[in-house]
Amino acid sequence: MNALPVTDAEITALAATHDIINLGMLADEARRHRHGTRTTFVRVADVAAEPGAPLVWPRSAGEIRVVGAPSSRSAAIERVKEIAARASGVPVSAFSLADIEQLAAREGVTLRSLLEELRAAGMELVAEAPFDQLPDPGRSIEEVNISGLALARLTIQQLPSADVPALLKGVARLQQAVAVIRAFAPLPRKLNPAVPTTGYDDVKRVALARLVVGNVPSIQVDWALYGPKLAQVALTVGADDVDAVSAEDQTTQGPRRAPLEEIRRNIRAACQEPMERNGRFESLPR
Amino acid sequence: MMTVERVAKKVRSGERLNAAEALELYRRAPTPLLGELADGVRVRKHPDGIVTYIIDRNVNYTNVCVARCNFCAFYRPVGSPEGYVLGFDELFRKIDETIAVGGIQLLLQGGHNPDLPLTWYEDLFRAIKERYPAFKLHALSPPEVIHLSRLSQLRVPTVIDRLISAGLDSIPGGGAEILVDRVRTLLHCYGKATADEWLDVMRHAHRAGLRTTATMMYGTVETDEERLEHLLRLRALQDETKGFTAFITWSYQPDHTELGGLEATGIDYLRTLALARIVLDNFDNLQASWVTQGGKVGQLSLGYGANDMGSVMIEENVVRAAGASYCMDEVEIVRNIEDAGFAAKRRNMHYDILGDPIFREREVPRMLELATARAEGDTSVPEELLKYAARSQAGKRLRVIPH
Repeated sequence: MNALPVTDAEITALAATHDIINLGMLADEARRHRHGTRTTFVRVADVAAEPGAPLVWPRSAGEIRVVGAPSSRSAAIERVKEIAARASGVPVSAFSLADIEQLAAREGVTLRSLLEELRAAGMELVAEAPFDQLPDPGRSIEEVNISGLALARLTIQQLPSADVPALLKGVARLQQAVAVIRAFAPLPRKLNPAVPTTGYDDVKRVALARLVVGNVPSIQVDWALYGPKLAQVALTVGADDVDAVSAEDQTTQGPRRAPLEEIRRNIRAACQEPMERNGRFESLPR
Repeated sequence: MMTVERVAKKVRSGERLNAAEALELYRRAPTPLLGELADGVRVRKHPDGIVTYIIDRNVNYTNVCVARCNFCAFYRPVGSPEGYVLGFDELFRKIDETIAVGGIQLLLQGGHNPDLPLTWYEDLFRAIKERYPAFKLHALSPPEVIHLSRLSQLRVPTVIDRLISAGLDSIPGGGAEILVDRVRTLLHCYGKATADEWLDVMRHAHRAGLRTTATMMYGTVETDEERLEHLLRLRALQDETKGFTAFITWSYQPDHTELGGLEATGIDYLRTLALARIVLDNFDNLQASWVTQGGKVGQLSLGYGANDMGSVMIEENVVRAAGASYCMDEVEIVRNIEDAGFAAKRRNMHYDILGDPIFREREVPRMLELATARAEGDTSVPEELLKYAARSQAGKRLRVIPH
């Protein structure tokens, strides 16, 4: 599949359109061409980065994700070690690549050596690579790859001040160079409560990502960050993977409202077939 | 043979759909196709690219209710320490606040409180009109009118006439839920108003010269056919009276209700909205329900048939009680309308355009959360209630015990 399946002029026109229905249909067609009706999701258990913080997660987690910035190299390695020792085969992802890079610089080691140490401690995946926060995303992601780690997802931290098509084309070029990005989450991780993104913004961004970044297999939406309603709509305009579904099984509101049933119900209501995966993108037969 | 494509062709050519055709479309058409068809109908009806909204306040004058609908998390039974009735002065203060942000109307609805006689409503309406002659009262949904009819032992047309004389301007379409008696029985709301009774109140109101809205709360126990039957019954009455100005649909909000269960998904909302736009070919206006769906899906509604972003609301109590607490002030509503490529205009209940956004004319305070009927812990009983005879024992006690 082409990295850039649409021309620059087409991308510019699509980015300017208010016709979300037709833009969404184009993106949905591209998504169905690649994934059919299958939508994957991963149940993630977040654990804090501070050493000594509680190490408890539900058994249903398909990925254990260390969240927060590590305070030091030794603290990061120690934390990954203690989590990996109890992970029982569940993939452990940790940290933002931008934070790891900053930590390496602070501690005067190379990014690669720090990544190798984290891998040796039991980390399988870098939890996220924020495209807009890495000075040289291509080089940083290459380092992840060379050190034997995988990248869970490429993300966007903040809304760009520049135009979205340029950003998306940059992501597509990055993937042409590195070819190891499995999933791209095009909606910003950092939200401005005073001026939140609109539904049209989000839908257009997901749809454009599917059309422009055609060389990344999965376009992802974050269930916890964007909520069921928007995330479900995103699945009909190009997204094929849902990240950050809660791994909690227990709910005070009965099993039908548990996260697993909720995500499956929403995917089916979007006329798609839910398929649970783990952090390695392996299907989980549950 | 009927196919989705054939039905879609009928919609595109502006033909009316029958029940079977509409059901085929609802069940089998892909969501984007439903959106495209609904958007086509909207464009035909509103080629000017305008999306409207109203600045009004959604006030619930009492939460005491004898109807006991099992899908409602807002009501309190008679005698509940959490029951309240707003005083006239509290309502005046709310109107002052509404006018301060450019508001023109109260959407006034409440529980079926046996201790508020018809004269309380008449006195309230008159007092409001005396103080605020130009301010509009969009008040009392059909089940409340029926409740007053039963309480006062007067016929519905008489109740409506008296309320109009006191200052009622229009009637909101609340309490419709699903206009199918099987559903209403299961939701414990058959007693408050049967489907025929709800429609009859609207018929009488339209005959009396009032304009009203129509609503549908879906996602409880009804079937697809019953959602459609609801729409077809509204369409038939609109053919007869042309009295409805708008249609609003929203999904059942299950939190803290007796019925419980699940909320319908965002896609279900967009599909249902689109179906309504297609089936209700004699309704000019469809509102987006951002208060139940959130701002994002609320805005996306504009691509699925809606041409109105509803109300700024200022206050909301009923949906919040059932778990949804979204807020959009005028700035945010206008930003969403314009971001979707439309021109934002203020309107009144009749959908007359009143002008551009008020915050562009003068400074208006931002509103980051919707107000509630009362501050938490406020259990005061309005003084003027003493003037009105209570029917319940609890109400009678409140009348004699000073607070």
